[in-house]
Amino acid sequence: MSDNHEQHEHMNIPKYLAIFGILVVGTIATYFAATIDLDWIFPGANTLLALGIAFTKTACVMLFFMHVYWSPKLIWLSALASFFWLAIMFSYTMQDYFTRSLGVFSS
Amino acid sequence: MSSHSDNNEEFHYHAPGLQHQFEDMKQQEESVSIGMWMFLVQEIMFFGGLFTAYLVFRSRYPMAFAAGSNHLNAFWGGLNTLVLIVSSLTMALTVYYAQKGNRNMQVILIVLTMFFGSVFLGVKAIEYTDKYNHGLVPVSGWNKRIKEEAGDHHEAAKPCWDVDHNAPVVEHPNPHGEFQWTDCSLVKLAQDHNYLTDAERVGYFNQGTGQIDANKFRDKVRIFYFIYFVMTGLHALHMIIGLGIMTWLLILAWKNTFSADYYMPVEMSGLYWHFVDIVWIFLFPLLYLLGRHFLH
Repeated sequence: MSDNHEQHEHMNIPKYLAIFGILVVGTIATYFAATIDLDWIFPGANTLLALGIAFTKTACVMLFFMHVYWSPKLIWLSALASFFWLAIMFSYTMQDYFTRSLGVFSS
Repeated sequence: MSSHSDNNEEFHYHAPGLQHQFEDMKQQEESVSIGMWMFLVQEIMFFGGLFTAYLVFRSRYPMAFAAGSNHLNAFWGGLNTLVLIVSSLTMALTVYYAQKGNRNMQVILIVLTMFFGSVFLGVKAIEYTDKYNHGLVPVSGWNKRIKEEAGDHHEAAKPCWDVDHNAPVVEHPNPHGEFQWTDCSLVKLAQDHNYLTDAERVGYFNQGTGQIDANKFRDKVRIFYFIYFVMTGLHALHMIIGLGIMTWLLILAWKNTFSADYYMPVEMSGLYWHFVDIVWIFLFPLLYLLGRHFLH
């Protein structure tokens, strides 16, 4: 958002439609990837692939629909920091649950 | 604006949308974006707590999650994903035309965005109704009550993992509107292929007989449906709030408020709308598709 009047030229209708196309292809790919059994690679490969596509779609939405790409550094920092904090929350929670003994709240 | 009507010695040029506390439009726009992003970051943390709950329970009971997920309708879920992506496109184009000051296109695109948002909520209502009819709302008494008729117990002889997935769906009696689940076939599959987690070995089986316990498995599937309803329900609430914001935006756009110099309300509403879209981008594969590859 450094220069207001230049910003208009960053995105145009063909570019918006191209991003939209990527999102639609990603959605269809997510569906069909989920129907193929990828457990022969390693258990949970399906979920990892689905998350990979989801993060790619998210990156497209955030960078271009939400204009993060042309935003000040502070906006970049906020967007990335939120995922960093999520990673902390997930990893610290799971290092607790994965190291608990059985039956703590299983049965 | 109006607050600068006092007698200044020199003339100050003010952009029409500039609030008095800001130096210029650039500073105002940056402050507004930072504020909105701080709000979105806490929204990410808010949904992040729910994703954490999902992560904890799915890592313990992956088969119960897969079983529950396979009962969701991936067609409706996928359709809703596409509907939201289209609404995100119309929202992004609304911002584009607001920057151009094109009133008519703004109005058309905001109406389209609201239309697709409403379609999303309509599909959600169809799905929730289906869960209500099939005894899948995880709260006792909140499901459709189906009267028990004499001689209804003929199917109890079959073990719960012996399920014919091509058989027509039977309506189980549910006189008290309880959460119901009768299909343990995925537990059998995981047991045969030896990939039950430790928590599942305790959580699905009768410790006395060593057999799969249909009631214990049902309670784990119920956890999935709790998470499904809370996450999609809060997402739907965000959609409803989004429709409210769109209504406000529609009024402003109708009055031809926005121009190349002043379009931040559209841009910020757009950020919110895209954020809600992003949440669904993750909810769709994590809730609807996680067990599809077990169906052959």
